[in-house]
Amino acid sequence: MTDTRNESFGPETAPARYGRLTTDQTGTIIAANERLANWLGLDAFQMTGAPFVEMLTKASRIVFETSIVPLLSLNGHVDGVSLDLKDAEANKLPVLLSAEETGSGEHKVTSFVFLLADARRAYERDLNDARAKAEDRLTTSLHEAQLREQFIAILGHDLRNPLASISSAMSILSREPLSQRSQDIVELTNGSVQRMSLLIQNVLDFARNRLGSGIHLTMTAGTALSAEIRQVVDELRSAQTDREIQLEIGDLDTVRCDVSKVGQLLSNLLGNAVTYGDPSKPIQVRAVKPSANSFELSVKNYGAPIPEAAIARLFDPFVRSTSQEDQQGLGLGLHIASEIAKAYGGSLHVRSDESFTCFTLVIPLSVSD
Amino acid sequence: MSAVARHNVKTSGSDARAMVFAHGFGCDQSMWRHVAPHFEDSFNVITFDHIGAGGSDAGGYDPAKYETLNGYASDVVDIGEELNIQDGVFVGHSVGAMIGALAHVDRPDMFSTLVMVGPSPRYIDDTSYKGGFTVDDIKDLLTSFEENPLAWSASFAPKIVGNPDAPEHGQELADSICNLDPVIANGFARATFTSDNREDLCKISAKTLILQCREDIIASEHVGRYVHDKIPGSEFVLLDATGHCPNLTAPEEVISAIRNFLS
Repeated sequence: MTDTRNESFGPETAPARYGRLTTDQTGTIIAANERLANWLGLDAFQMTGAPFVEMLTKASRIVFETSIVPLLSLNGHVDGVSLDLKDAEANKLPVLLSAEETGSGEHKVTSFVFLLADARRAYERDLNDARAKAEDRLTTSLHEAQLREQFIAILGHDLRNPLASISSAMSILSREPLSQRSQDIVELTNGSVQRMSLLIQNVLDFARNRLGSGIHLTMTAGTALSAEIRQVVDELRSAQTDREIQLEIGDLDTVRCDVSKVGQLLSNLLGNAVTYGDPSKPIQVRAVKPSANSFELSVKNYGAPIPEAAIARLFDPFVRSTSQEDQQGLGLGLHIASEIAKAYGGSLHVRSDESFTCFTLVIPLSVSD
Repeated sequence: MSAVARHNVKTSGSDARAMVFAHGFGCDQSMWRHVAPHFEDSFNVITFDHIGAGGSDAGGYDPAKYETLNGYASDVVDIGEELNIQDGVFVGHSVGAMIGALAHVDRPDMFSTLVMVGPSPRYIDDTSYKGGFTVDDIKDLLTSFEENPLAWSASFAPKIVGNPDAPEHGQELADSICNLDPVIANGFARATFTSDNREDLCKISAKTLILQCREDIIASEHVGRYVHDKIPGSEFVLLDATGHCPNLTAPEEVISAIRNFLS
């Protein structure tokens, strides 16, 4: 190897589009090419003998001494570092720098290569700005989403009180002597109160779930479960007098669960079955214990099969059928039903084909209960 | 997580007196790889990474804690407590030297000897004090870091371009040298280059050695002499080495100066 200390880049017939420079072990410039000298507004020959760090802005000197020198010493090279050179008029000249050390001790030589990088630097700055803005927008939207969900939770809660007043008013009215027409109106109003009550409960559960506190289960003994299921079915029978609803119910006294949440889930599944089932065929509800450690609740209807594509998103919130005309509710029913199943550590699955559509809730029971 | 795990603490050598080596801004404990092992024969040699550097764990990084160098000093004290360090030697490079001094002022029983390599209690000039940089120089530095953190230093690159989901990448990071978390490095730069710990120097009661390089633009000779003047009974050694990193460029000289001082 020739002694690089005597290297001179000499006059270049076709000046390269990169700057070149070598320093000795003290960081003193041994040689610089004309391109670099031109960029800096200096004479290449006069640069020889000056400390390299004097070609850097103050800020770049700090980075050079604290980060680049250690890397060069430990790795022997650095690649693609952004620094600012300083030209004769003290203007910043953004460059990309790669460097390599050869030799050791007094014979150590460091070779630097520079590329102009102002356009790239501007691009990187834009990228950073864009990222900062995106992060800002994300933070704002998350905050707004949370406010919206809190609003929904409060609204849902506040709607319950007037609804309870309507419900008790109907109850008082029904004990009065009424005309047939008035009795029908009371019946219809009761059905509306029940539907609205279910909607409010679904919205509240949705908002609570989104706010991170999950669906609350208050577990009690199962003695009231059969009565709750019968009541939900009866309520629907009285609201949908033209529909046949068949109920098969086993001995559920040992099913420890949140009775009202199972009732809510059943209401949601029944609402779905009424909407999408074939009106000329029955809806079949089955609540049984197929084994000592599980409870199963299924709702079957004889409607058109759910399209394959819709199955995947069936339990997502705000999903409604697009093919049917009767679009009612928020599309929260199946979502909340599946969230309730999850809260139990159970599952809600669907089977749908040409013959029937059946939703089945399976809840694991702890045998010790 | 323990401070020892969080700061990638490595210990080697004998069960004798603890000797802690601290790196400064811009790199990690690799800074001491040519020096620290030479003290294993007679010391319990301890190296570590400041938060955001090398193999440290930056989980739960609290910017407020690290606004000043005291946050970094409290990490040193945490490490010292976990390792039961008493009467130890603290060797700090660059801003690591001031961090060690602050740890000593807090816990003089933990570190009774200080070796400060290229220390500076304040980088920005003051009326009669020449730190070496103007307010604008440091503003320029910090703005540049903020505008362009990914390109300032090659050591920032791996975390930016790498895919953190790829497990093999983690190993690559652990093996790489002077790898820095860009956000934390910006905070460290701010804490370092806007620091003013001149008033803390007179509180130092440790046996203290100041090692000064020639032509050091980060911490110049008169700054080193200022530190020497303010620390009662301190020793000052001007090395032949030039630049800011004698622990890498002239390790033999650093080793022998520390040995002479400790013997």
